[in-house]
Amino acid sequence: MIGTVMSPSHLVLHGLAIKKHADAGDIAGLIGLAADDTARRLDDAVASGRAVQVNGKYLLTPLARIALESDYSRHYADIREDADFFAAYEAFERINVQLKALITDWQTMDVGGQRVANDHSNSAHDAKVIDRLGELHERADAILGKLAAGLPRLDYYRRNLLVALEKAEDGAIEWVSDAKIESYHTLWFELHEDLLRIVGRERAE
Amino acid sequence: MAIPLGDWVLALDGSTLPDKALIGGKAWSIARMGALGLRVPPAFVITTRACAHYLHEGSEPASLAREIAAGIAWLEQQTGRRFGAGPSPLLVSVRSGAPISMPGMMDTVLNLGITDETEAQLAAECGDAGFARDTHRRFLDLYAHIVLKSEAALAVDGHPADWRNAIAAGAGESVPDAVEEQLARAVHAVFESWNSRRARRYREHHDIPHDLGTAVAVQAMVFGNMDENSGTGVLFSRNPLSGEPTPYGEYLPRAQGEDIVSGKHTPQPLEALRTHLPDVHQELLTAASLLEDAGGDVQDIEFTLEKGILYLLQTRAAKRAPRAAVKIAVDMVAEGKIDPSEALARVSSEQIRTLLSPQLASGAAQGAEIVARGEAASPGVGTGVVVLDSDEVERRAANGEAVVLARATTSPNDLHGMIAARAILTEQGGSTSHAAVVGRALGRPCVVGCGAGSLGALAGETVTVDGQNGIVYRGALDVVTPHENDDAALRQIAAWAAHQSTVLVTTAQSNGASIRFDENIEQTEALIAALEPGATVEGALFANDDKAVRAVIAAGAATIVTSPALPALLAAAQAAGRE
Repeated sequence: MIGTVMSPSHLVLHGLAIKKHADAGDIAGLIGLAADDTARRLDDAVASGRAVQVNGKYLLTPLARIALESDYSRHYADIREDADFFAAYEAFERINVQLKALITDWQTMDVGGQRVANDHSNSAHDAKVIDRLGELHERADAILGKLAAGLPRLDYYRRNLLVALEKAEDGAIEWVSDAKIESYHTLWFELHEDLLRIVGRERAE
Repeated sequence: MAIPLGDWVLALDGSTLPDKALIGGKAWSIARMGALGLRVPPAFVITTRACAHYLHEGSEPASLAREIAAGIAWLEQQTGRRFGAGPSPLLVSVRSGAPISMPGMMDTVLNLGITDETEAQLAAECGDAGFARDTHRRFLDLYAHIVLKSEAALAVDGHPADWRNAIAAGAGESVPDAVEEQLARAVHAVFESWNSRRARRYREHHDIPHDLGTAVAVQAMVFGNMDENSGTGVLFSRNPLSGEPTPYGEYLPRAQGEDIVSGKHTPQPLEALRTHLPDVHQELLTAASLLEDAGGDVQDIEFTLEKGILYLLQTRAAKRAPRAAVKIAVDMVAEGKIDPSEALARVSSEQIRTLLSPQLASGAAQGAEIVARGEAASPGVGTGVVVLDSDEVERRAANGEAVVLARATTSPNDLHGMIAARAILTEQGGSTSHAAVVGRALGRPCVVGCGAGSLGALAGETVTVDGQNGIVYRGALDVVTPHENDDAALRQIAAWAAHQSTVLVTTAQSNGASIRFDENIEQTEALIAALEPGATVEGALFANDDKAVRAVIAAGAATIVTSPALPALLAAAQAAGRE
C-alpha cells in the first residue's frame, strides 16, 4: 500500500464531508476508526469550531470544509502518483456512466414510448433492473478491489455496496436508490465523491 | 409434446405445450404462442435436465452435441436458411430460461452464426452492408461480454478481424471460428450461469432447489430490414398511457428491433402498417386480442415482419401509467376477464398517490410567463421562492417558507437542500444527472439542464415548477389536488377495496380515542408494538407508507384514519387479499 494517508483527526472531517448529517457510528464505519474514538474526535471538532452537532448528527462548518479541501493534495500526494490507482479510478468513471443510466432505468420506465416515473407496479421490470445492477456490481467490484489495494479504507464501500445489493435482490427494493438510506446509489455517490477528493478532480455532469 | 430430437432437446413446433419445469420460462413462452396458433420464429430448447446433467457430471450428455445439430437442422428446414453458410445464412439467438425467473442468469447472445462469409451473404441478401457489419459487431460484443466474460470495447467503425484480435487480447482466448463451437460454448455458459453467485443466493433466499437447472432456448433470428414489406414494432393490446381499450403501437419499416430501442429512428404509429399491409395489421390485432385473453392482462408484444410474414417475438404483461392501471383494472372486471380482487392486485397505492398528487389547475399555465425550460426529470408541481444555496434552502424551509433550490449542478453536498426544497432546478445535466436521480428518489419535482446562466437571475422570485413538462413559470400558479371521490374509476376501486379490507379506512376523524402517529413519528415502532386489538390509529403516515398500514393491521388495529384514504385502503385490501 501507498505511503501518505490522512491522520485520524483529518479522516473524521473527511468522513463528515462525504456523509452529511451523519452520526458518529456512520462516520466511524466509513473511515474505518473505532466508534468511540470517532465520537471523541467529532466532539473535539465541535469544540474547536470545525463541526456543528444537531440532534446527534454532525456537519462541517464552512471554514473547516474549505480547509479540508485545500489539504487533500497534501494528504493524497502519493496516491495521485500511483498509476494503478489512477487507472482503477478511470475505470470507475467509465462504469459510473453505466450506473447512472441504470439508476435512471430504475426510477423511470418506458411506457408505450413515453418515459414515466417507475411506480414499481411492474415486478418484471424491477427484477430486470436489479439483475442488471448485480451484473454491473460484479464488474465494479473488481475495480473497487484495485482501489482498495491502494487505499484500504475504500473497502468500506465494497462491503456495503454488496450489502445494499443483496437487500435489493432479496426484495427490499428501496435499497437500490432511496436517497435517505445507505442504498446502493447513496453509497456509490459517496464513493464517487470520495474518489474525486482523493484524486483532486471536479465532478462532471 | 413438442418434437423430441433425442433425450435432451425438443423442437418447439407448437403442437403441444411442454412442462415449464422442463423447458424453462423463455421456451415455454415461445411454445405457448405457438400452441395458440401464432407464428413465432422457429426454436428448439435444450432442457433443464441437460443442464442438471452437465452440472452434476461436469460434462454435457454424450448425445447432446448430436441433438443440438438435429435442432439446427430442424431450424434450417423450417427457415430455408443454413447455419454458418449461404446463400441465406441462419443466425440464432441463445437465451437462458429457468423455470422460475431469477437474477444472475446469462444474458441473450444474438446473431450467433455470423462469420466473415455469412456477413457478406447477409449484406447481399438485405442489400445493406452496414447492417450486416453491425450485426457481426453486435455478435462479437455479446459473445465477448457474455460467454468470455471480458470487457471489450469494439469500435463501431472497426473491422471484424480487429474486433476478434481485441477480444482475444482482452479475454486471453479467441472467439472460436466454427459456429457450432460458438453455439456449444454459449450453451455451456448458460448452464454455468445457473451457479452464479447471484443465482445461488436468490435460490437460497427463496427456497428454490439448486438442482432444477436452466433450459437453453435457441431461436432463429428474423430480419425486419429485408425489403419494403419488412419491419419491426411493438403492439400493446390496450393503450398503456391512457388505458383506452384500443390497441396502441409503433412500427418502424425496414428496421431491426434495436433500432426502435436506440431511438435513432422515429417509429410510425401502427396506422402506417394498416395502410401499407392491411392483412398483416389485422393478423396482428387478432393476435393481440388472443394473447390478452390467454394472459388475462394487457400485453406488450414485440413483432417483426420479414418479407411480409408476421412473427411474434415476445409477449408480456404491459407496463402502464397510473391512470391506465386504474382504467384497465376497472374495465377488465366489467368485461368479465378478471374479478375485483385481481383488479385490486393490479393497482398499486403508489399509482393512486400519483393520481391524487397536486397538479396545475386546468388553464393555470395559459398566459403564465415561462422563465426557464429544461429537461423534465422528475414529475410533480412545486411552488416557492428561488434560492441558490442549499444551506439557505434548508434554513428558510425550516422556518416554514416554500423554497425552490436552483443550482448550476447538484452534488451530495446539496442533499439537505434538495430534501428541504419544494422543487429542484439545475442549469446543466440531463436525465441521469445527480439532481435528476436524487430528485426522483426524493419525489421532488425537478427540471434539469435549463442552460448555463439561466437560473441566477431568478433568485428571490417566486416560481412554479412543472416537473412533468420541464417548465418553470413566473409566480405562484393555481395548483389543485385531485380528490379520490371525484373520479368514477377511483370510486369503484375504493368500493371493492372497502369490501375486501378487514379494517375500516376513513378520512373522518374519530370521536373516541385514537393513537396519533404524526406527532410521534420517531416512536412509530413502539406505538405499533403497544397497539391493542380494535385500536383506532390516525396519521398522514398511513397515506404514504403501505408497510405502516400492514404493520398496524397485523398488530390488531380496526380503524385507520388518514387522508386521502384510498392509498391506505388499497394497501389494507391487498393485505387481506393475500391471506
